[in-house]
Amino acid sequence: MQIIDRQKVSNEIESLKEKHGKDRSALIPILQALQETYGYLPYIVLQETAHALGIHPSEVEGVASFYSFFRTKEKQGKYVIRLCQTISCNLAKKANVARQLENELGIKFGQTTKDAMFTLEYTNCLGMCDQGPALMVNDRLFSKVTPEKASAIIADCRRDFLKSKFPKVVPSDVKKSGPILNHGLKAAESLKTALAMSRSAIISTIRESNLKGRGGAGFPTAIKWQLAGAAIDEKKYVVCNADEGEPGSFKDRYLLYEHIEIMLDGMTIAAYAIGAQKGFIYLRGEYQYMKKYLEEVIENRRKNNMLGANILGKDKFNFDIEIRMGAGAYVCGEETALIESLEGYRGEPRNRPPFPVDTGFQKHPTIVNNVETFIDAAIIVSKGPKWFLEHGTAKSSGTKIFSISGDCERPGIYELPFGITIAQLLKEVGGENAKAVQIGGASGKCIAKKDFNRAIAFEDISSGGSIIVFGPETDMLAVAKNFMEFFVDESCGQCTPCREGNVKLLDGIEKLEKGRCSVTYLNELLKLGETVQLASKCGLGQSSPTAFLSIMENFKSEILGRVPEKD
Amino acid sequence: MAKILIVDDDQDFVSAVTLVLESAGYSVEIAHTRQEGLVAFGTKKPDLVLLDVMMQDPDDGFVLAQDMKKQDPKIPIVMLTSVGKVTGMSFDKDSEMVPVDDFEQKPIMPNRLLAKVKEHLSK
Repeated sequence: MQIIDRQKVSNEIESLKEKHGKDRSALIPILQALQETYGYLPYIVLQETAHALGIHPSEVEGVASFYSFFRTKEKQGKYVIRLCQTISCNLAKKANVARQLENELGIKFGQTTKDAMFTLEYTNCLGMCDQGPALMVNDRLFSKVTPEKASAIIADCRRDFLKSKFPKVVPSDVKKSGPILNHGLKAAESLKTALAMSRSAIISTIRESNLKGRGGAGFPTAIKWQLAGAAIDEKKYVVCNADEGEPGSFKDRYLLYEHIEIMLDGMTIAAYAIGAQKGFIYLRGEYQYMKKYLEEVIENRRKNNMLGANILGKDKFNFDIEIRMGAGAYVCGEETALIESLEGYRGEPRNRPPFPVDTGFQKHPTIVNNVETFIDAAIIVSKGPKWFLEHGTAKSSGTKIFSISGDCERPGIYELPFGITIAQLLKEVGGENAKAVQIGGASGKCIAKKDFNRAIAFEDISSGGSIIVFGPETDMLAVAKNFMEFFVDESCGQCTPCREGNVKLLDGIEKLEKGRCSVTYLNELLKLGETVQLASKCGLGQSSPTAFLSIMENFKSEILGRVPEKD
Repeated sequence: MAKILIVDDDQDFVSAVTLVLESAGYSVEIAHTRQEGLVAFGTKKPDLVLLDVMMQDPDDGFVLAQDMKKQDPKIPIVMLTSVGKVTGMSFDKDSEMVPVDDFEQKPIMPNRLLAKVKEHLSK
């Protein structure tokens, strides 16, 4: 048993407060650092943290127990192996890798080996859907893992990676680029253009381009910026939502690697337009391995006066960016949950109104935009709204960066114009024989062949960019089960319809699996799904049964009356 | 007598304000959207504008105020809104983002409204 010296913990927390801040918003970074030191968060550590921040220990425990990356009960192994359990990795034969990992270690998932060397866990999407199955060993990422490779990875862990032969995982392949990815702009080029404009002219430019948020909801970017810009407050914030947790989505990871300068330009332009002094990049916990690189880029921009005081000589324009790591909660992709998390609370969505544009981070006006939205905005400022309007449809201008995975010949990153039909997209990626396509990740719709002539656009089928292709052999009930397990796991638990409804839907799927579900009961489940859509508090809860409902609607005859292999 | 342009998507509010203004001898022009408002501003040549904030889009009033001031910065704009109460937001006039001459909360008493109109027309 580990003996922990209370005074030592207390001293450590004091030095962490110097680094991360003295108020509650420093809670999650402090807990992350302490977990790294102690391997888990024992009660004494939670207590001391609460004492140091002046909050009740139950509050700290509530936060620690909310996020899946925090462990309060048991010390983790030296190597924590997290295998992605998302549908794209399932399609790439994840089950064989899982079995082999269990064979090699002699433990089941959720357990730690007796020598405290290994902990085996499942995790939700690692953002490597085009290169699955994927797993992480601590912060180190492995893609295209086979059972043989899994065994070699464990052998390497035992040698502390001293003789590691595994290459560093590279960003995903861009299979098709377009006007956004081929922007050709140098660092700070669009920022310079913006700083020569008035604040209202920047927002007018964004408005004329009809840019809508690329996270999936499609809210007009200019409205957010205008309202935050018009709000009266001494402190305003710009937040980049890089909590790319939607299963099947990995384009933000690529964009952060390859287009980080233009993204930071976009954030800085937004800060100038709304009058913000501070920005956050909320990076998902699974992307910890990118943090160092991103911090180096940010530091370099500080040195070149692209961040900091009087940016690029613009008098009184002061802005800086801090990276905050998520801690494994899908719901934090919802902007108000993200803000709660930034403030050091459980990632539970807020009631709206008030909206973040006025009452955001610590009750100050805050805009939250997706990585891709900031990139688009920066390019629009440089190239003008007319250039952007040349692409896409009347209601969905521009192009969209898609993450394409599953049963297709050419998975990867694609930049395609809005308005493209699903059939055209499938041809592009070599997935013409698909039986169904999941548009928009777990929270999106599952589209069957009869609807492949529909378009991907805000006015038809909206998408944050995740596209998963299902081949003719795919068991659609298994797909529905995977997505429903995801939501049961990831529901923040705050409101009843999402917390309880999804558990009941999963139970129904298990009945269907066993061939023990009547049509009357299935109809009750469909009604329950509609209730969850109507009555959940946040957008994610509202969309949680969408995949289930669309799969049941399109594949009823495949799903009903099953005869299980072993009854 | 002076001509007042009311831009507001709330029909009841427009009817009530029209009644108050016409009783005081003003002539009134009406628009219900940002687009209609900008057209009326150019064609009807009002002497003063009473402008709502949240119409089709929640920022329509701010955008329209910017567009109107670009066309003719001399015409006074009085922003009448309950946006603060609806959203909890705090807004006020600001030369760049909210370029209006006055910022009044709804509901507004008829006497105060008439006093504001008179004040800005006499400037």
